[in-house]
Amino acid sequence: MVSLSKRMLAEFIGTFLLVFFGAGAAVITLMISAGQPTPNEFNIGIGILGGLGDWLAIGLAFGFAIAASIYAFGRVSGCHINPAVTIALWAIKKFPSGDVIPYIIAQLAGASLASFLFFASVGPDALAIGGLGATAPFPGIGYLQAILVEAIGTFLLMIAIMGVAVDRKATPGFAGLIIGLTVAGVITTIGNITGASINPARTFGPYLGQMLLGGANLWEFFPIYIIGPIVGAVLAAVVYNYMSAETAT
Amino acid sequence: MKCYICAQQGKDTDAVAICIVCGMGLCMDHAIREEVDIWEGGYPFPSEKMEKTIPRILCPPCYEGLKGD
Repeated sequence: MVSLSKRMLAEFIGTFLLVFFGAGAAVITLMISAGQPTPNEFNIGIGILGGLGDWLAIGLAFGFAIAASIYAFGRVSGCHINPAVTIALWAIKKFPSGDVIPYIIAQLAGASLASFLFFASVGPDALAIGGLGATAPFPGIGYLQAILVEAIGTFLLMIAIMGVAVDRKATPGFAGLIIGLTVAGVITTIGNITGASINPARTFGPYLGQMLLGGANLWEFFPIYIIGPIVGAVLAAVVYNYMSAETAT
Repeated sequence: MKCYICAQQGKDTDAVAICIVCGMGLCMDHAIREEVDIWEGGYPFPSEKMEKTIPRILCPPCYEGLKGD
């Protein structure tokens, strides 16, 4: 196994790519549709261009970045690029306790740098119009509803990871593609409910960027994106282990 | 079985191994034993190189082909 510092670097770069291209796609969608009237208050601008197709496009941007990262860094660090995934693997004793905090620090740092570099790449409108792609509950969505949705979305992500990657009987080689597409599907459905973070680091980066670059203070919503994803991921890992456990006959 | 390479050179040498790629019989002079690393893991776990290796016997042409020399 490579050193912890190299694995942290892989997590850092992977999470950076996820936020730069994924959250960046949300920013660009909002900038393209800026100034156009929205049909209702549930529509904040993503959906004006192509309905649910806007969310599919954003989801695919996330999905392709995740797939590329998994194929590039999967053998180096495991390419969790998501604290909820790291914690879920630790919870089922598949990941060492001593590596959990370093992995999460690397993921949060990578996500943060992505938000700052996206701002530097696109300019002030990335913050003023696109909000750096920060996630928050959409109009009419309550705090607990948002936690529930994030938990269910992350449940699907983690159950896919368990099925196509953690399970030793899984067909090798498909993990990156399937997990990327799973994320794209989750975002398509729950994007307009919570922003579809399903990853505490993905929300942390834009929140930190907003705070330090003079944007909105959204930290009151951060517990949604910690509790929901972690609960969903741990539950999926435990349920999958229970379902797939075999007894000798 | 005789060594194929020795036979090409007009010699008659007993084979002691077979190339795993082409099936050529090989004597001790022409058999090349490679030790192949075993890696376990991969997404979502970091890969680990195992202490043990897998032996693999090759003939000189296949060895050169696989090594890209």
